[in-house]
Amino acid sequence: MKQGNMLAMILAGGRGSRLHELTDKVAKPAVYYGGKYRIVDFPLSNCANSGINVVGVLTQYESVLLNSYVAAGSRWGLDSADAGVFVLTPREKADSGLDVYRGTADAISQNIDFIDQYNPEYLLILSGDHIYKMNYDKMLQAHIEQGANATIAVRPVPIKEASRFGIMNTNEAGDIVEFEEKPAHPKSNLASMGIYIFNWKDLRKLLISDMKDPDSDHDFGKNIIPTMLADNKKLIAYRFEGYWKDVGTIDSLWEANMDLLDKKNELDLSDPTWRIYSEDASSLPAYIGPDAEIDRVYLTQGTVVEGMAKNSVLSTLSQVKAGAKVIDTVLMPKAKVEEGATVTRAIVASGVKIGKGAVVGSADSENIILVSKNVKGVE
Amino acid sequence: MAAKAFGIVTSTPRRVNVYGLQDYRPAGAFTFIGKFRVIDFPVSNFSNSGIKNIQVYLNKHPKALTDHLGTGRNYNLNSKRDRLQLFYCNHHMENEVYNTDVSDYLDNLTFIEELPQDYVIIAPCYMIYKQDYSALLDEHILSGADITMLYHKVNNAKDHFLNCRVMGVDQDQVVTSLEINRGNRQSQCVFMDTYVMKKSLFIDLVQRTAKYSSTYSLSQMLGVLIKREELEIRGVQHKGFFASVDDLQSYYESNMSLLDPKNQKDLFQDDWWIYTRTTDTNPSRIYESAQVKDSMIANGCHIEGTVEHSIIGRAVHIGKGAVVKNSIILDHAQIGDDIQLDSQIVDKYARITRTKELLNTPDELGYVHRADRL
Repeated sequence: MKQGNMLAMILAGGRGSRLHELTDKVAKPAVYYGGKYRIVDFPLSNCANSGINVVGVLTQYESVLLNSYVAAGSRWGLDSADAGVFVLTPREKADSGLDVYRGTADAISQNIDFIDQYNPEYLLILSGDHIYKMNYDKMLQAHIEQGANATIAVRPVPIKEASRFGIMNTNEAGDIVEFEEKPAHPKSNLASMGIYIFNWKDLRKLLISDMKDPDSDHDFGKNIIPTMLADNKKLIAYRFEGYWKDVGTIDSLWEANMDLLDKKNELDLSDPTWRIYSEDASSLPAYIGPDAEIDRVYLTQGTVVEGMAKNSVLSTLSQVKAGAKVIDTVLMPKAKVEEGATVTRAIVASGVKIGKGAVVGSADSENIILVSKNVKGVE
Repeated sequence: MAAKAFGIVTSTPRRVNVYGLQDYRPAGAFTFIGKFRVIDFPVSNFSNSGIKNIQVYLNKHPKALTDHLGTGRNYNLNSKRDRLQLFYCNHHMENEVYNTDVSDYLDNLTFIEELPQDYVIIAPCYMIYKQDYSALLDEHILSGADITMLYHKVNNAKDHFLNCRVMGVDQDQVVTSLEINRGNRQSQCVFMDTYVMKKSLFIDLVQRTAKYSSTYSLSQMLGVLIKREELEIRGVQHKGFFASVDDLQSYYESNMSLLDPKNQKDLFQDDWWIYTRTTDTNPSRIYESAQVKDSMIANGCHIEGTVEHSIIGRAVHIGKGAVVKNSIILDHAQIGDDIQLDSQIVDKYARITRTKELLNTPDELGYVHRADRL
């Protein structure tokens, strides 16, 4: 790895239990979003567009699908000689047993050998369940220019909501003076985005001592950042403006999809200088039949609409058959709504069939329904 | 098992002449149903048939296809044993009659000779169909014929396929004639410019043709050989979707025919992917004000107006109140608010904002040039 280079590690985490059955078979970052993407396409594309060549994806569970998905680094252009995307699950090592990742910091600690192979100057830590476009190289420039030991990306949130987030209190120069996790009385509205840049050599030392600390939760927010603040290290806040969405729950995943229907949506996926890369299906373009009705829809290639679709996101190879109605709904890839069925305010999981004439969801439901099993038709 | 044949995708023949579109790119690079290029079909057919040494010949405007095909990575030609070769052949500016497939092959004969495969399968860059070439090769070897030619039976040859060759085939599938379709009867066997033979015979024929006439193509020479009954030449009938893109009308009709779900199912099957170069374009947005029926929409579009019985390419914008009917809009074109289009082929990057109406009929098509401002 060339001098000055930065290696990225994506904390893809565990099962994402708040996404329920969507993560039964796939890790959270592999969950579909926006018609043709998977969540992990966003950090990976951001890395590729920011000139980062080597990316580790840290995951605890169910990695077969994620592994085969990210292993084809060519999707994001991360397949040149000095590049690669690697799924890193807990491994058995010569001097220690097989261990789960005990926390975000421990996940990095357990992969020190992997990172050392590339000998990067900087390490970028990312979270795997956020939808946003960000140039990490600009963040690195700020980190270098200000001579920081660590840089944390923050975004302003409404002060009323600030107590739901990890809040960074800064001085006038933008240096972080205090970190408060979900404070009852927030002093600032700058929420951590879970994106960190560290000088690798310094972090490496901290991680090794953190591993040995029996009282530590091995977490960046709870342990590593407070330790650095206590040691009077220079931590700076890097302000991010723009679209950012946590898609950790069914409702928020649905909302993030619905945002794409909004003409004023800040998340511009059509910018040719910052494409979000994904796998592309070898399918027909979207086909809209002679009797279809289509109103405010975000749709991608391979979609077939013969019935009615309104206020909905229709993913690759999803189908709305004749007489079917899909309203305020996300159809994930290969979901099929058969003749005469009606789906309202729902996420229909990948490959799931809604049988003929079935009715799923309702317009006044409080929460979005996740349909993860086939629904029988009503004959 | 290693393939016994290599593939050739021919350059655009002289008789193919698609008004407007061909000024900017060769026939193989024409956009098909908004996201494919015509050449994706022969190259995918080869790749899916396990024939992964493919030579593609280009004569004019090589940029479009070199960009598109690249190293063949998008066509599942990824292994170190696979090879997609692009040959840019010197185009004879002084006289169009010299530009034949035979002159392409003569320019590159050493690269044909050096290939280890015993057989060659030749496919055109301008025809759209699905065919398992390895099954065709097996049939060829089993029959013992010198050459096997693929044909498609049609019932509209009086006013279609007029730039194609038609062939006579007797009840034993022996080819008895091969000539240009003169439109004198409806029922014909259209030669699909697809044929199989031994590599050694191919090289021999290329050299013989050059001696016979400097202006002859290989299929013209085949016509001579069939008359002389010199070789055993057999026909194999192709079934399924077939289209030849050789003039503006056939370009239009072949695209439009894919709006029929029956043809979609025939040409696009789960076990026979048609590959193309990905552009990583985001999905399309259909607005509240839009009405879309009986159409195909590629990715990256913003549709605010009405679209009926049309094919919309990538990243096309159709403004509010605009009405697009029976038309093909190619990538990155912009149709402004309240513009009315009927039976138009709008080339890439064209922008129609001031001309309020362009109304033609499917029999008398309109064409808007690439990047024009109307």
